[in-house]
Amino acid sequence: MKSLIDTLSSIAREEHASKIISLTVKLGALSHISPDHFREHFIHASRGTVAEGARLTIEVMTDTTHPQSQDVLLENIEIMNS
Amino acid sequence: MKNDKVNTKTIKVDYLARVEGEGALYVKIKGNTVTDVKFKIFEPPRFFEAFLRGRSFCEAPDITARICGICPVAYQMSSSHAMEDAFGIRVDGQLRALRRLLYCGEWIESHALHVYLLHAPDFFGYDDAIQMAKDYPDIVQRGLQLKKTGNEVVILIGGREIHPINVRVGGFYKALTKQELNSLTEKLKRARDIALEAVSWTAKFDYPDFEQDYEFVALRHPDEYPFNEGKLISNKGLDIFVHEYDNHFIEEQVAYTNALHSKLKERGAYFVGPLARFNLNFDRLSPLAKEAAHSAGLSPVCRNPFKSIIVRSVEMVYACDEALRIIGQYEKPEIPAIPFQPTAGTGYGCTEAPRGILYHRYRVDDNGRILDAKIVPPTSQNQKTIENDLWQFIPKYLDLPSEELKYDCEKAIRNYDPCISCATHFLKFNIDRE
Ligand SMILES: [Zn+2]
Repeated sequence: MKSLIDTLSSIAREEHASKIISLTVKLGALSHISPDHFREHFIHASRGTVAEGARLTIEVMTDTTHPQSQDVLLENIEIMNS
Repeated sequence: MKNDKVNTKTIKVDYLARVEGEGALYVKIKGNTVTDVKFKIFEPPRFFEAFLRGRSFCEAPDITARICGICPVAYQMSSSHAMEDAFGIRVDGQLRALRRLLYCGEWIESHALHVYLLHAPDFFGYDDAIQMAKDYPDIVQRGLQLKKTGNEVVILIGGREIHPINVRVGGFYKALTKQELNSLTEKLKRARDIALEAVSWTAKFDYPDFEQDYEFVALRHPDEYPFNEGKLISNKGLDIFVHEYDNHFIEEQVAYTNALHSKLKERGAYFVGPLARFNLNFDRLSPLAKEAAHSAGLSPVCRNPFKSIIVRSVEMVYACDEALRIIGQYEKPEIPAIPFQPTAGTGYGCTEAPRGILYHRYRVDDNGRILDAKIVPPTSQNQKTIENDLWQFIPKYLDLPSEELKYDCEKAIRNYDPCISCATHFLKFNIDRE
């Protein structure tokens, strides 16, 4: 989760964004984390960062044979420019 | 909204985020000696404790269920029992049975996830379940099927998959009919067969020679394998009521981790979870579960934490068996919940989450408003024992390259199924060799 937040922060910095409005992540079928559980962690970890309060969309993948089925993929983020 | 559009833009990222960082291990080695081991975990309960203050008692089961996506039932059960304790009510008969059934579902679900997808790959040298799924697709499928059955029990009784909403202080919002429960019977029988296979399958794994003189702590009930209630006992003389918990256990703030280290005041580190339950409650298992354990060559006291994977499998057999027993004897209760009036007081609850005892304590006022909450999850209770294991374990593997040492440390930690599953292949591993 920390690496995700770090990535969000560095993208925000590069883009001179003041705020991350929303983001979409995909959870692999074997990623061992439920969407709600992920959300709890995200809310906790994003507090005080540029991603605090961002709208989080989570897609759950079902293909267990997908090479990234154990991972979490950050698909896109929507930022607000300062 | 129009204005926003001008200033916002969407960026396609495609960034692979291993959800790591929740767990971290720091090991310091001087020459041939381990001089420091620090195992850190991310844990949200502290935040939840603060969040609960000022809330109504009836929100506690739903709020605390959100602490963990893998064992929400445990949080609901511990909080409900604690509140019922504060208000002096007792949930009995078929409502109590229904709660046990819900707990069976959670154990099956959580244990299946751990046994098949998280722990078993370690014994085959795989990095993860994906690799294992390629070579053993049938086994992984069976594991997923078992997990699904557990899920279905939780969905049916709890009303929702992830954070069940049907549980309330005093019982349930809605009591199920016998017919509704019967829909689970065939699935549970199949699940029990898979669980039996899991026992004989895991029994054949190659286990490291590693045993420690642990203090095992679990609930003990006069005639049941423990889920929701019992006294707290240990193999080293602990025998207390749940409301005496705070007299015997302390939590220590440790500078390097968010989590508090839990200790027995008298003796220090202790061990909770399947292995502890099994060792202290073997006689309470169903005949089938006992038999499965015996034929796997497993009997109490088992002091090898790596064998917890066999014990989890035995507990899956038990949970399926117990679920079938409950369904067989079930009759729909007349009311879904015991009526009560909130009263000021302090309530204590401790239940057996899949990974060990989960303690809740609440102080409430006359309106049932929460004045103070304390939640001690199993992982923080095991944290000190996990570190102790690593102190013993690492010296045997000092010569290994760091990557391999990391893998072995992860294995040792995974024995405890620490509830950071979100970060399972999780370890930020820092090794400092001098
Ligand atoms: Zn988590």
